[in-house]
Amino acid sequence: MAGYKPVAIQTYPILGEKITQDTLYWNNYKTPVQIKEFGAVSKVDFSPQPPYNYAVTASSRIHIYGRYSQEPIKTFSRFKDTAYCATFRQDGRLLVAGSEDGGVQLFDISGRAPLRQFEGHTKAVHTVDFTADKYHVVSGADDYTVKLWDIPNSKEILTFKEHSDYVRCGCASKLNPDLFITGSYDHTVKMFDARTSESVLCVEHGQPVESVLLFPSGGLLVSAGGRYVKVWDMLKGGQLLVSLKNHHKTVTCLCLSSSGQRLLSGSLDRKVKVYSTTSYKVVHSFDYAASILSLALAHEDETIVVGMTNGILSVKHRKSEAKKESLPRRRRPDDILINRPAKKHLELYDRDLKHFRISKALDRVLDPSCTIKTPEITVSIIKELNRRGVLANALAGRDEKEISHVLNFLIRNLSQPRFAPVLINAAEIIIDIYLPVIGQSPVVDKKFLVLQGLVEKEIDYQRELLETLGMMDMLFATMRRKEGTSVLEHTSDGFPENKKIES
Amino acid sequence: ESPQRKRKSEAVGMSNQTDLLALGTAVGSILLYSTVKGELHSKLISGGHDNRVNCIQWHQDSGCLYSCSDDKHIVEWNVQTCKVKCKWKGDNSSVSSLCISPDGKMLLSAGRTIKLWVLETKEVYRHFTGHATPVSSLMFTTIRPPNESQPFDGITGLYFLSGAVHDRLLNVWQVRSENKEKSAVMSFTVTDEPVYIDLTLSENKEEPVKLAVVCRDGQVHLFEHILNGYCKKPLTSNCTIQIATPGKGKKSTPKPIPILAAGFCSDKMSLLLVYGSWFQPTIERVALNSREPHMCLVRDISNCWAPKVETAITKVRTPVMNSEAKVLVPGIPGHHAAIKPAPPQTEQVETKRKSGGNEVSIEERLGAMDIDTHKKGKEDLQTNSFPVLLTQGLESNDFEILNKVLQTRNVNLIKKTVLRMPLHTIIPLLQELTKRLQGHPNSAVLMVQWLKCVLTVHASYLSTLPDLVPQLGTLYQLMESRVKTFQKLSHLHGKLILLITQVTASEKTKGATSPGQKAKLVYEEESSEEESDDEIADKDSEDNWDEDEEESESEKDEDVEEEDEDAEGKDEENGEDRDTASEKELNGDSDLDPENESEEE
Repeated sequence: MAGYKPVAIQTYPILGEKITQDTLYWNNYKTPVQIKEFGAVSKVDFSPQPPYNYAVTASSRIHIYGRYSQEPIKTFSRFKDTAYCATFRQDGRLLVAGSEDGGVQLFDISGRAPLRQFEGHTKAVHTVDFTADKYHVVSGADDYTVKLWDIPNSKEILTFKEHSDYVRCGCASKLNPDLFITGSYDHTVKMFDARTSESVLCVEHGQPVESVLLFPSGGLLVSAGGRYVKVWDMLKGGQLLVSLKNHHKTVTCLCLSSSGQRLLSGSLDRKVKVYSTTSYKVVHSFDYAASILSLALAHEDETIVVGMTNGILSVKHRKSEAKKESLPRRRRPDDILINRPAKKHLELYDRDLKHFRISKALDRVLDPSCTIKTPEITVSIIKELNRRGVLANALAGRDEKEISHVLNFLIRNLSQPRFAPVLINAAEIIIDIYLPVIGQSPVVDKKFLVLQGLVEKEIDYQRELLETLGMMDMLFATMRRKEGTSVLEHTSDGFPENKKIES
Repeated sequence: ESPQRKRKSEAVGMSNQTDLLALGTAVGSILLYSTVKGELHSKLISGGHDNRVNCIQWHQDSGCLYSCSDDKHIVEWNVQTCKVKCKWKGDNSSVSSLCISPDGKMLLSAGRTIKLWVLETKEVYRHFTGHATPVSSLMFTTIRPPNESQPFDGITGLYFLSGAVHDRLLNVWQVRSENKEKSAVMSFTVTDEPVYIDLTLSENKEEPVKLAVVCRDGQVHLFEHILNGYCKKPLTSNCTIQIATPGKGKKSTPKPIPILAAGFCSDKMSLLLVYGSWFQPTIERVALNSREPHMCLVRDISNCWAPKVETAITKVRTPVMNSEAKVLVPGIPGHHAAIKPAPPQTEQVETKRKSGGNEVSIEERLGAMDIDTHKKGKEDLQTNSFPVLLTQGLESNDFEILNKVLQTRNVNLIKKTVLRMPLHTIIPLLQELTKRLQGHPNSAVLMVQWLKCVLTVHASYLSTLPDLVPQLGTLYQLMESRVKTFQKLSHLHGKLILLITQVTASEKTKGATSPGQKAKLVYEEESSEEESDDEIADKDSEDNWDEDEEESESEKDEDVEEEDEDAEGKDEENGEDRDTASEKELNGDSDLDPENESEEE
């Protein structure tokens, strides 16, 4: 009894997309909550302080959402025209936003009316940010200027007129209160220093710059514009580190994961790509329903918020960690715990096999719930039966319904190369067994017809493959002639014909 | 001279002017037409607007005309003299809508905010703010205040309705005394931006206001509500009306027909609907049934003429090109667009051009293009876009784009596409193909076509790659492992073919029987069986025995048949005999025959 060895279920490597740590991590989000905004969502910004509310800029309003709220907990609607770029201060208590009419407004999170209004830009202000010392605001506008404002006096301190086109993005350094960068439609990204009154660094992106980002360390700068995302080394004086081209439409927004290990980019092609910041390869990609304009990640990547052109805000929350930890029983220190040997439960089909109920075992694995989810179990059982030499017995004596189950399974899985050898064998046995009764049931006949069609197609396909193999052999042959030695140990048995041709 | 713009307003008012129709234009002039004479009565130009006129309203009593425009001004016209009576700045941005109060003493104007003007003094009486976007429509909903206890001064207590651009809410406001709050009292939600609004005025307190709102998405929403003070939640519609085409069969799915406008008939119980296209609208009277929350009318408008927008877009025309001209096309550098010099058909045009000496008119050129598109197949244009699409798809790994390109069946197209692919995309393409080769043979066959094309077209490039073997190693192994089953499969296929032909043959013979022939055949077959190996008989009996065992196990439970176990092997054959008792021999024939052959294989 104890000697029964359960059937080994063969596992096959899943071909195609590899499952990496990243796919697991980024797929671990709930289905998105979708919120309809008044217009295209141009900016999403998370408060850096708990409870990590986020500000959503759309049309002429700024909505503040709580972490799990589906309705805004606060609204700033004191804008005469479209608002842009609502950004939280580092302490999460102040909010600054630009506007289409050229004004910059500063709000208290708890208040309603603006605390400060900075007038000075003549055209739409698309980007604003707080400097690292919290007392200044940087703004960039369509009048080609970048201005630095003092919050206490609500006065303009400096104006930079170095850009020659719209200034559409910018950010301030998190370490140095005097440094900030701006990106413009004149294809350049410039770094300004408030102490020098002119730009200290300028890099040429090559496309109108839509978004810029500074790494927390301040050493690397990321710019996005056109279809490119480019990473620049600031410490080496603005040297291009990598240029990424993974979108097929304009990249509109950039974001860093909270660990700083991953860079996210959203684009008008409706995708968000996740890059590793060590290898700068795409490690994951999200699809959305519409072109993406804004993107933000919450603290600890708990939430991904994406704003789209059709005014829909998509909010994805991370699945909560399953807390399986049952409370361990209180143990006295002198207790010795002896583990009871875990009783092995045999699978039902194994139990049948153990008692030589082969037909029943086969029935069990031919159940639709098994064949669809885990065809490899079915195939393994068929293989085992074949090994025992009782497959014919197990398959025999079935009525119309059961035999069509078997045939269905064959039709579905025969063309899979991993199952093919076993299933072809089974198909032959079935034909042998049921040949005498063929023609009695139109249902079964039809299934045979489908199977035949499938096999025909597979044969055609394999014939094509054989031809292609021939071509590849030729290609490899030219390689080998060059090198003189055989590189292809693993395939050398595959082309004896080829050798003949060569010689 | 200038694009004229609609915006009719009913010519109500003075008895001698009931026949006048006022029309505002995009350049700022207002035209007065006489509907009786059918000709232009007069023009209102001097001192008026210098931008697009948005709305015109006749005053009920005085015969004055009020107009508002994008130039931020409101103008009061004297129609008799065609002169401006008064002109004042109405808003900070363009004024989009006007509405005169029921008693004729007040004027509502809507731009960024809604303002209520005293007509006599042209002073602002009230401001109403609340819409985020410019207000597009305005309408008074009541002509009498709800509570009659207070003395009525002609305006206080009245309700009016407003809609705004890009806003799915219609707000209702109440004109109140000075110190009361000025936000909207209630709102109606609709599915899209309202494009047309009609309502029945309520004349007393108990009578509900009926409101019909036509939205941009082509639906009509009906509301019925007794206006009675403040309501916090937006109201949803009582009834929604849609119109769709009848879906005939599987091919033509029902398509929605947009409703363009809706108006209440004078009895307030039925609705006039305007639907179809603006070029040829259909007007229909629909009785209102307030109990149904959703009405979908099925109307066939296929016999109506409609401009075919879709076909106009998909028709791509190849421009006529001069042979010297160099065409620069956006795309991947190094890949050439498929625009070719004009085909022979255009020679006529060119000769014409030469003979004429002067430039050919635009009309003729367009005509020439038409000729081209008839002759030139789609293929050239598609190959032009396919490589671009495929490159984009490979770069961004976009599943949809790749599917779209890779699932073409046209071999010629595949060849041309591969030919135009830039070299650096070849390896990613091969990797993508590797992924797709593993699927169902149906789709995988197409991938093989692609693979073959790549290999043949880019053979020389591939053979120069130093790391070709590691690049293509997986692909090679994959294909090899798949091909391994070829022999067995062919074997199985042979069996299946035989089986199928057997089935079809037996079906045929069942249909038409000619017993004379069959008797002979059976005799011969039996003899042939005896000649064959003993093994067959052995195996046969073995098979039968196995089946018996199985069946006996199962039958013990079912307790159906009590026949001898030895006889059961034959029983199956007999079963068939029972079915077609008259053709015993024939069935025996068809049963034995395949068995022999299969074993012989």
